[in-house]
Amino acid sequence: MTNRIDLHPTHSHGEFKLRAGKPLPFGTTLVPGGVNFSVFSRFATACDLVLFKKHAPTPFAEIPFPREFRTGNVFSMIVFDVDYENIEYGYRMDGPYDPENGHRFDKEKILLDPYAKLVSGRDVWGKEPDWNNIFPHRGQILADDFDWEDDCQLETPFEDLVVYEMHVRGFTAHASSKVKHPGTFAAIRDKIPYLKDLGINCLELMPIHTFDEFENSKISPVTGERLLNYWGYSNVGFFAPKAGFAATGKFGMQADELKNTIKTLHKNGIEVILDVVFNHTAEGNENGHYISYRGIDNKTYYMLTPEGYYYNFSGCGNTLNCNNPIVRNMILDCLRYWVTDYHIDGFRFDLAAILGRDQNGAPMSSPPLLETLAFDPILGKCKLIAEAWDAGGLYQVGSFPSWGRWAEWNGKYRDDLRKFLKGEPGLAGAVSQRIQGSPDLYQWEARENCASVNFITCHDGFTLMDMVSYDGKHNEANGENNSDGGNDNHSWNCGWEGSSEDDEVNRLRVKQIKNAAAMLLISHGTPMILAGDEIGNTQYGNNNAYCQDNELSWLNWDQLSENAEIHNFFKQMIALRKTHPMLRYSSYAQNAAADVEVSWHGTSAWHADWSGEARTLAFMCRRWQSDERRAFEPDLYVAMNMHWDAHGFELPGLENGRRWHVFANTDMPHPQDIATPGNEILLDNQHDFMVGPRSVVVLIGK
Amino acid sequence: MEVKSQLKDKVNVIQIIGDLDSNSAPAAEAEMAKHIVAGCCIVLDFSGLHYISSAGLRVLLMIGKQLKTVGGRWAFCGLSEETADIMEMTGFSGFFTMYPDLKTALSNLSAKQA
Repeated sequence: MTNRIDLHPTHSHGEFKLRAGKPLPFGTTLVPGGVNFSVFSRFATACDLVLFKKHAPTPFAEIPFPREFRTGNVFSMIVFDVDYENIEYGYRMDGPYDPENGHRFDKEKILLDPYAKLVSGRDVWGKEPDWNNIFPHRGQILADDFDWEDDCQLETPFEDLVVYEMHVRGFTAHASSKVKHPGTFAAIRDKIPYLKDLGINCLELMPIHTFDEFENSKISPVTGERLLNYWGYSNVGFFAPKAGFAATGKFGMQADELKNTIKTLHKNGIEVILDVVFNHTAEGNENGHYISYRGIDNKTYYMLTPEGYYYNFSGCGNTLNCNNPIVRNMILDCLRYWVTDYHIDGFRFDLAAILGRDQNGAPMSSPPLLETLAFDPILGKCKLIAEAWDAGGLYQVGSFPSWGRWAEWNGKYRDDLRKFLKGEPGLAGAVSQRIQGSPDLYQWEARENCASVNFITCHDGFTLMDMVSYDGKHNEANGENNSDGGNDNHSWNCGWEGSSEDDEVNRLRVKQIKNAAAMLLISHGTPMILAGDEIGNTQYGNNNAYCQDNELSWLNWDQLSENAEIHNFFKQMIALRKTHPMLRYSSYAQNAAADVEVSWHGTSAWHADWSGEARTLAFMCRRWQSDERRAFEPDLYVAMNMHWDAHGFELPGLENGRRWHVFANTDMPHPQDIATPGNEILLDNQHDFMVGPRSVVVLIGK
Repeated sequence: MEVKSQLKDKVNVIQIIGDLDSNSAPAAEAEMAKHIVAGCCIVLDFSGLHYISSAGLRVLLMIGKQLKTVGGRWAFCGLSEETADIMEMTGFSGFFTMYPDLKTALSNLSAKQA
C-alpha cells in the first residue's frame, strides 16, 4: 500500500522529508518508505530527533519536532528514506530544570528512547567503552519480522514445570562448556541436549534486558580484577535484549539470535521465563547519569520525595514510578512486546512488592499495575511470578495481591527447608506445610493455580554446594569488606569451612545436597533449581556474586564428571516427579486438593512427631479410596531423618497386595543411592526401615 | 555492493559482492527477483560477500519464500565461517541449503535437475 496519501511527505528539514507521525505505538515503527518515531514527555517544551551514523561520534542530523507533530504529550514524526539499519537515534528534550519540583530537563543530553527495541553501545560483553562518547546507549531500529513459523507459547501447566534459573553468560562462559560462542544466547542452544537429559522444562533467565556491565565497575581489592555488573539487575532499556549476550550482538542481530534460541527451546519443550526488573533503572539517584528517563520525564518515571529526591525502595538509588499510569502502561507494553515478539512464556518480577506501592511509596491493597497484569488478555497464558518483597522492608510472601494469577518465589520454603536440612529441631510442622505447597500461605485464597515456586537456592545467596560447605559468606572479592550479601543463610559447612580433603566431610556434603534435591522435587508447587547445583557448582562461599564475571560464578562443566552422582540424583528425582502425577497436583481449592491423600508419619506410622525437638518427618501420598486412579497409581512414601543418628521408621501398611520398593536412599553410596523410575528395589522388610543419619528415603508402593 | 549473474549448467549463478545490508538490500532484491520464474534454479555465491546484516538476511529469506511459491530451487555457496555462523545462530540457515563452494553447489543442483 504505497498509494496512501498519508505516506507522502508534507514537511522537510534539510535533506529529510517528513510528515507528522502516528503517536502510537511509542518507539520506532517501520512504515512504507520511512520510520515512525514517537516519544512521550509530559513536561518537555521541545524535542529534537538526533540521528547518528552507526558508531559515529557526533550526530549527522538533528530534526526538531514541529509544533504540529506533537499530539497531547506525544512527539511523533515519520522520517522518509532513512537507511534504518545504519543509523542510531536519540532525543534531545528541552524543559525546566527544577529538581525541587521533580524536573531535570537538560537539552545538552542526548537521551535513549524508553521504547528502543535495540540498544547499541555495549555490543560486545566486557569491551571497555569509549568514556567520551556523548551518547553511550543508542537506540537502533529493528525489523521485527522474525519468521517464527509454527512456534507459540508452550503453556505447560505451572505444576508440571521444573524451572532452571540461569545466568546467560555464566552458563557457558567457562572454557569447560566447550561451546563455539561461550556466554551467549546461541550457546544455550548448544546445551539443549544437556538440559533435556536433565529433565528440566523451563529456563528462567536472569536479566537479559539491556543493562550496562560497566555501571559502577571497580577494581577488586582481592584479585585486582575489574568488577562488572555481571548480574544486570539494572535496566538501561526494557524493550531491548542485551547485545553483549549475543554472539551476533556486534552485528546488531541480538534480537534474531535470542528469538531463534527461544524458538529452538520451544521445539524441545522448554519454556522461557524472563527475570524482569521494573523496580528501578540504571540512572541512579540525584548524582547519577542521564541515560533516558530522567531527561525525558523525570517526574513521571520516578518516585520522588516531596523535595524532589529519589525514593530508594530498590536499594539501587531510584524507584520506578510503577503505579503512575504512564509507567504502568510502559510496563504493560513492554511485557506484551516480549510475549508477542519473543514468545516469552512467563516473567519473574524482581522486588515485585515495589510494583504494589503507590506514587508516594505506600503499599496498596489492590495495586492497579498488578491487577492489570493479572487480567491482561495478551499476558493471559503467561506465568507471573513475584519476588514478593522489596528493599524497603515490604515482605508479602503469602499475601502478595494475586487475583489467582500471581505465583510467588516462596522465601519461606527456602528458609524452613534449609533450617530443617541443617538439623535444627522443631521444624516438622513448618516443613509439612512447605512440602504440601504451603497451604498455610496460599490456601486462604482457594487458588486454582499453583502459587508456590519452591526453591532452596537461587542466584541470590549460596549455591547448593556452598550451602553445605560454608557457615558464613565469603564476599571479600566483591570489595565491600564482606558487608554485602545476606547473613541469614541457614547454611552448615558439615564440619569444615570451605573446600575439604576430609572424605567424611565431603560424603556428608554430597548427601546433604541429595537430601535437598529429594525434598525439593517431591514438594507440591513448582520446583526451581539453580543452574549448576546439579553438578555441585561452587562460588567459593560468595553469596552475592553480582559483580564476579569470572570463574567464581561461571559454571565449571568439568564438575559434571567429578560430581556425576549428584547430577544423576537430580536427574532421577526429576524423572520421578514426572512419572508421578500425585507430586504435581495443582490446586489449593478444597475439593480439588482432595485429589491426593497426604498423611504424616514419624518413626511410628501414622504418628508424626510435631514437637519442638523433632528432626524426623515422613509422609505418604496416595489417591483417595474413592478415586479410581488409586488402582493404577503407585503410593509414595518419603522418610526424612535430619537427626545425626539413624532412626528406624515404621512403614504404613499397603493395600491390595502392594509392596514397598526403594527408589532413593541418600545414605547409600552411589549407585545404590537412587534407582530409575520403574526399577525400584523390593524391600525385604515391609514393616520398618532404618533411615540413616541425615538421610532421605523415597519408597514406592506398587 | 555488486550483484553479478551468469548461467552455468542451466543454473543461475548470482554472485553477491561487498556488503549486503539495509542500504544495498533493495537493489540486491530487485536483481535477484529478475531470475525468479517457475521452476528456476539459483545458486547464490557469497564468496565475495564482505558483510551481511539483518536486513540482508531478510532479503534472502524473502527471495526464498518467493522461490518456494513458484517451485524454484536454490542453494548457497561460498559463505565464510562467520557468515554461516550468523545464519545458524539467527535461525536463517534452517531455510537454506549451503554448500562449501560453487562446484559442489552446481553438481548437487544439476544432479537433482537431471
